Amino acid sequence: MELGKDLKKENFYILEVIVQKLLFNILSLVFSSQHNVLFQNNSETLATFSLPAGLAYPVQIPAGVTLQTASGQLYKVNVPVVVTQAPVGQQPATQAMQKVTEWREASAPQPTAIPPNPIAPHEVETSSVPAQSVTQPKTILPSSKEAIVILLGQLLPFYKLDFSEFTTVMFLLAIHSQLDLGYSQFSDIVQLDGPAGNSDLEEEEEVPLEENDFLGIINAEAMKALQEGNESSDGNSISSSSDGEGADELDPLNSGDDVIEQDIPDLFDTDNVIVCQYDKIHRSKNRWKFHLKDGVMCYGGRDYVFSKAVGEAEW
Amino acid sequence: MDSSNDEALDIIITNVVATFRTRCHLNLRTIALEGTNVIYKPEVGKVLMKLRKPMITASIWSSGKIICTGATSEDEAKLGARRLARCLQKLGFKVRFSAFKVVNVLAVCSMPFAVNLINFTKNNRPIASYEPELHPAATYRIKNLKATIQVFSTGSLTVTGPNVQNVATAVEQVYPLLFECQKPLAKT
Repeated sequence: MELGKDLKKENFYILEVIVQKLLFNILSLVFSSQHNVLFQNNSETLATFSLPAGLAYPVQIPAGVTLQTASGQLYKVNVPVVVTQAPVGQQPATQAMQKVTEWREASAPQPTAIPPNPIAPHEVETSSVPAQSVTQPKTILPSSKEAIVILLGQLLPFYKLDFSEFTTVMFLLAIHSQLDLGYSQFSDIVQLDGPAGNSDLEEEEEVPLEENDFLGIINAEAMKALQEGNESSDGNSISSSSDGEGADELDPLNSGDDVIEQDIPDLFDTDNVIVCQYDKIHRSKNRWKFHLKDGVMCYGGRDYVFSKAVGEAEW
Repeated sequence: MDSSNDEALDIIITNVVATFRTRCHLNLRTIALEGTNVIYKPEVGKVLMKLRKPMITASIWSSGKIICTGATSEDEAKLGARRLARCLQKLGFKVRFSAFKVVNVLAVCSMPFAVNLINFTKNNRPIASYEPELHPAATYRIKNLKATIQVFSTGSLTVTGPNVQNVATAVEQVYPLLFECQKPLAKT
């Protein structure tokens, strides 16, 4: 209703986001670009993907595609996406919900999907966005920060995100909609350390070297500099140090430089495993004390279950 | 060289603290999940990694700065730091071992005599300070060496300085001053 009135004459695209159940998938799928091909409109080297004019809607788009809407907003969501075209004036929310239920039934064998929150990009003024987002909570307008919050607000009851993740996710989504950079090695929990935005940006610049041409020129040069500095260093080779002691130049870490590998890697060959929750873990120098709860363990080939366990160990 | 004592004093280095940089951003979560012998402290934003061979503990920050503590000599600190950087390299980070610097050396030493702290402080008024209500030792700071010596009434010293050489020099410097203010051990 209100949405329809505020629409311009252009067609109104609705993106439905089907989000999988598992918590870690949200962020890892949204932000990981490692195994998904990235289509970008503005990059010199990557292809542009835009919906052809004569396409029959709804279109099911696989994961990992950046779409550009009529308004110019770029969205990259690494989850399977259904793009539908709704005639102007129709309630996007209800139609989206219908589609959603159909989809959900269709994808029943999948891990249970929560009711998706359709993202509706268009040129509505941001001032009207929050109000509408509140009244029609399923409609999200990613061009405004408030909308992003609402999306997460919707996610909260389903995923029981705790507060730290909530703020972090919000922060990352906000960055993504503006910067549209590729991420790699992102996982569900984001570091909360370091300066507010810079640490993430730094990490982006240190993105794997294979995506050299994806990054900007400056970053590519930085990568080259790093590569040259490390060209002698091999991940697994060990060589004796020639002048490791005397020379204190910047980078004589020549592939290990006589540093012996960690002794006793066989420690982890053991099959004795405890999976549990902890009440308190305490350490003094190398003496550890464990107060564990609610766990299962496989020890000596036998399985045990405990509601409480206390242990001591020396490292 | 300039030692005024005949018997050799045993200066035992107990702790060497060093820092270095890896010149690359480190993903603490990756280190915490895939590294061995690590303690992740997300509330502070660092990972502790302990090494056995040189018994050291390293605090690793995501910026790539690493503080390495617990070594018993400067060489050991450097060796441990390199091993640590090697571990990080194996985890997949583009580590460049750079800016290694020993920041602090802590040593203990024991005088063969007890010391009268009040006299010692009186004789060395501005440089030495003694507040028995706060701390049972007198603090003697050598400005040009940037070394701090804490003198206990039993004759034990703890010395901290930027490197081992400074620590040794500091002990030699303070020895005659302590010798003057020694307290006869025998008590009735």
